[in-house]
Amino acid sequence: MSHTRYHIEAAGEPRNFPPEAMARIEKLLKRYPTKQAALLPVLWVAQETWGWISRETSEEVARVLDLPASHVDGVLTFYTMFHLRPVGKNLLQVCTSISCHLLGAQALVSHCGKRLGIGLEETTKDGKFTLIEVECIAGCDKAPSMMVNDKYYEPMDEKKLDQLLDRLARES
Amino acid sequence: MDKVLSRRVGMPNSQSIDTYVADGGYAGLRKVLTEGWAPEKVTDEIKKANVRGRGGAGFSAGVKWGFLPKDTKGKPVYLLCNADESEPGTFKDRLVMENDPHQLIEGMILASYAIRCRDAYIYIRGEFYDGARILNRAVEEAYAKGFLGENILGSGFSLDLTVHRGAGAYICGEETGLIESLEGKRGQPRIKPPFPAVSGAFACPTIVNNVETLCCVKHVIDRGADWFLKLGRNEKNAGPKLFCISGHVNRPGVYEAPMGLPFKELIYGEAYAQGIKGGKSLKAVIPGGASAALLKPEEIEDCPLDFDGVAAKGSMLGSAAIIVMDEDTCIVAAVMNILKFFSHESCGQCTPCREGTTWLYRVLARIENGQGRVEDIELLTRVAGQMNNGMTICVLADGAAAPILSAVPKFREEFLYHVEHKRCMAAQPQLVTA
Amino acid sequence: MSSAPIAPPPAAAPPPPKDTFTVVFDGKPIEVPKNLNLIDAARLAGIDIPHFCYHPRLSVVGQCRMCLVEIEGVPKIQAACTVPLREGLAVKTTTDKVKSSRAATMEFLLINHPLDCPICDQAGECTLQDNSFGYGAQLSNYDEQKRQYPTFDRTMIGPHVVADMTRCIQCTRCIRFTQEIAGTSELTFLDRGGRTLVWTHDGAPLANDWSGCAADVCPVGALTVRDFRFRSRVWYLHKTKSVCPGCNVGCNVSIESRDDVVYRFLPRLNPAVNDYWLCDHGRFLSESLNARDVHKASIREGSDVRDAIVPVAIERAAREIRAVIQKTGPSGLFFLGSAHLSNEENFLLRKLADHIACPNHDVVVDKSRVRKIKSQTEWVEGDDAAPNFRGARDMGLSPGRNGFGLDAVLSGKASPEVIVISDAGFAALADDPERVAVLRKARFLVVAARNGNALTRSADVVLPAASLSEKEGTFTNVQGRVQKFERAFLPRPPVRAHWEHLLMLATALGYGDRNWTPTDLLGQIADEVEGYGAVKEQELEGGALLKKGDFAWAGTL
Repeated sequence: MSHTRYHIEAAGEPRNFPPEAMARIEKLLKRYPTKQAALLPVLWVAQETWGWISRETSEEVARVLDLPASHVDGVLTFYTMFHLRPVGKNLLQVCTSISCHLLGAQALVSHCGKRLGIGLEETTKDGKFTLIEVECIAGCDKAPSMMVNDKYYEPMDEKKLDQLLDRLARES
Repeated sequence: MDKVLSRRVGMPNSQSIDTYVADGGYAGLRKVLTEGWAPEKVTDEIKKANVRGRGGAGFSAGVKWGFLPKDTKGKPVYLLCNADESEPGTFKDRLVMENDPHQLIEGMILASYAIRCRDAYIYIRGEFYDGARILNRAVEEAYAKGFLGENILGSGFSLDLTVHRGAGAYICGEETGLIESLEGKRGQPRIKPPFPAVSGAFACPTIVNNVETLCCVKHVIDRGADWFLKLGRNEKNAGPKLFCISGHVNRPGVYEAPMGLPFKELIYGEAYAQGIKGGKSLKAVIPGGASAALLKPEEIEDCPLDFDGVAAKGSMLGSAAIIVMDEDTCIVAAVMNILKFFSHESCGQCTPCREGTTWLYRVLARIENGQGRVEDIELLTRVAGQMNNGMTICVLADGAAAPILSAVPKFREEFLYHVEHKRCMAAQPQLVTA
Repeated sequence: MSSAPIAPPPAAAPPPPKDTFTVVFDGKPIEVPKNLNLIDAARLAGIDIPHFCYHPRLSVVGQCRMCLVEIEGVPKIQAACTVPLREGLAVKTTTDKVKSSRAATMEFLLINHPLDCPICDQAGECTLQDNSFGYGAQLSNYDEQKRQYPTFDRTMIGPHVVADMTRCIQCTRCIRFTQEIAGTSELTFLDRGGRTLVWTHDGAPLANDWSGCAADVCPVGALTVRDFRFRSRVWYLHKTKSVCPGCNVGCNVSIESRDDVVYRFLPRLNPAVNDYWLCDHGRFLSESLNARDVHKASIREGSDVRDAIVPVAIERAAREIRAVIQKTGPSGLFFLGSAHLSNEENFLLRKLADHIACPNHDVVVDKSRVRKIKSQTEWVEGDDAAPNFRGARDMGLSPGRNGFGLDAVLSGKASPEVIVISDAGFAALADDPERVAVLRKARFLVVAARNGNALTRSADVVLPAASLSEKEGTFTNVQGRVQKFERAFLPRPPVRAHWEHLLMLATALGYGDRNWTPTDLLGQIADEVEGYGAVKEQELEGGALLKKGDFAWAGTL
């Protein structure tokens, strides 16, 4: 069963948007009739800034957008693409929805986990890889499909996955 | 048929505004804005063409626009493009946005003109990083060329367009979930009425249309409603359509054809998916994404792929996501996979969906793992049967129930086999009767 | 069919616009106000539509899917709370489809709800329990592991509220309460689907001034009030209409008591005052009503304090008062009323002073804790930390012509020989040794009290006085609203209500009738005090008693 998203980890340090991020946020705010509407875009800016969203980040976003921190948490934990704790340099997102399932996605996930020695939602000790399952990423014609960070790798098989993991391990 | 919606896919620099304009792009917009078309004329043309929504529901776009109040009492009207393509098996909008973003943008400008919208948004799912980047670049180009912004082409009409990224939630493809999400909230669908056309985004009149639907708008304006109506099986099921086919076929992909393409043609046709992989036989097919009822091979024999054709078979065209399962497919595992999806994606607000999706998934997982009981099979249909038809605010629960309510009766022997033999029937090809 | 236009009849005045709709419930038409929710409209027709997430003062979310009904002309089952009223709306609440749909929702709600009613403090006032009797099935077909929220159970979610989230049915009433009424937004949904959890940001406490109401609106035992947990099964409790003594907002409360012990306050529905709500300060004053260490009357002779029976103590005080009147006249007396006492009591005190022609009377002002509550339409803010400051003033307890007040006494400008303090319960005065020392300069000091303090310890006569739960009367709140409070149980003799002590003293001094009751006194007030003649019975009665979690329609109040 899926992992729960109740716990937002603490960064242990203050999170203040750097000036360039603030400038982006100012621009974003002009695109919406309410501040709250900029919440998802601002959370994206935050995730791009720090790589994940911490408790402190949630509070900073709440402050910047004049929202209750509970509201930011509610949104943050609803949308699965926001990371509530640090993730590896390479976020391996293997699609396991129906079309990919039909073409062996589950075996691919197991292979990947075995190969890296991690389970789902876990990160390798060297911080290079985090493995997660994702729901349909619209790569069904090239199933099984996967993404590493923001790039698609499809269609994927065990051999291609091994090559990809080797390359990513070398490069990161 | 000559391709329309996917014509420019694969062309060199198909994403750039220069190639788009060179291909005749934005001519329709120029015609409307400089030849004195009233907004109502655009709406009338779309109504006349009976462009039915390509996102899943198949509701007439022109009629939807017509629900906007005549007098908005000073409130702005919003156009939201639903680019949250998340229905498992669907990947047509991604193709269009990544390859021909200006087609969508032009469609949106035309639609905005028709409904007197000043601010439009493209709500694109978070996973489409490339799609968002490409759209953002295209939007910038359109601003630079004067197709967006103040006083477009000197017409007095102004429009701002913003690409808004989701962040991983299937339910934001439901139009009121999308609106909630755009407003910076959890994507929990709203009670209707009021419908978005009356009170949607920011409590203002709002129209939500799918990517492909808005692309159709552009082509109807270019070529006229009559052209659109002539494509397809009949006037209720007309126009060009993108079909996504995936699963156990030789050539999965997006295929464009007029509405009403024979189902078997898509699966077996030389110009389409070219049959089942490895020459195997067909066991089941999902015609419209994971929330559509499964069909058996005999049910697609004479089935046209369009809204009413698939509906007549007790399923739905939905997002035209055709998922093909060959004879070796374990139906129990496939349905379990689908229910895992829905239990993960249920927003959690309505009791029957929040509890029912997870319950069904757990029972299926038990059967799949060899711990099923005969009474579980009845339990599945009973539980699924009490989640749908108004039991919930939105139709996610109906979508979760449909695979069960179709697969269990149609493949009952497979479920029974699983329960009795604690293993998969499909793993024993000699036992397959289909 | 042709429809030729028919000319309207000439000069027919249009009927006044109706402010009601005719709604047909199960074939029976009934007129209901237009702005009602269908669930409340059904109540007017005597039909109970079961529900969990609906609350008349919170936004409609239509999430629990319990209030399902059939609407004529609509094929799908509908959540009643989301159906707008209209003329001719035909609602069916008893069809097989309605029954099976509600049973389905009950089944879904119960699959993950622990069956721990025997150890759940909500039992007896649990909407889920009640509805499962009415609409659920005996047996469950759920054979999977039930959902649990392991680290979110038996946990203080705030200073007053205990969370047992495994019992939560995700109705979001508590979330909406903090967002829409308290305005503090501590609570939110986290995660989604079957994993949805109600919690706060980073475990921050649910600590607004009305946090107990979050437990009130919880239809199950997920949020309960710590102070009350496991103290009594609710069906043993007796409800009494009362008014919160916390400040002069005058929130309507029900005192819930058993065997002469007050267990808790619950808000009593009064849309004009506190609506469905009650602040934590007021709510948790309930326990203070049980506190008593003045059990008997006492009389001081020099340094010797002895118990006395009440009539003797009263006579002792009366003797001193008569002596002053004879020797120096009534200007040597000072009567201090109290904003903690009822109108009847303060009225009696002032009438007694008038009778002996003493203009020296006053009431203590206490601005120390000003509270507010959200009525149906607006925030109501108190301006005194006692429940009846307005009333005490209305009863004439400001200094009379040529008389002096408390300030004069405390500053030494006036030196009364006998001081009668009708209630020693206000801490600001009674616990301040310096001020008590000034008061003690009087030759003779009479106080009525429930608990001992510096004042009672130095008094010459102490009379054992009743608590709010042990007497009846009226308070006048900050809005000028006169509200009745009723007696939950009798004080244990020789303890008596303040008005009884005062009436005994008055009769000893030749005023009044020993048989008067608070009702008689209220009648006199109505005759004599400006603005009190036209107090409506309804206003006097205040709000309606509710079972916790029950939200009867309040349209007529």
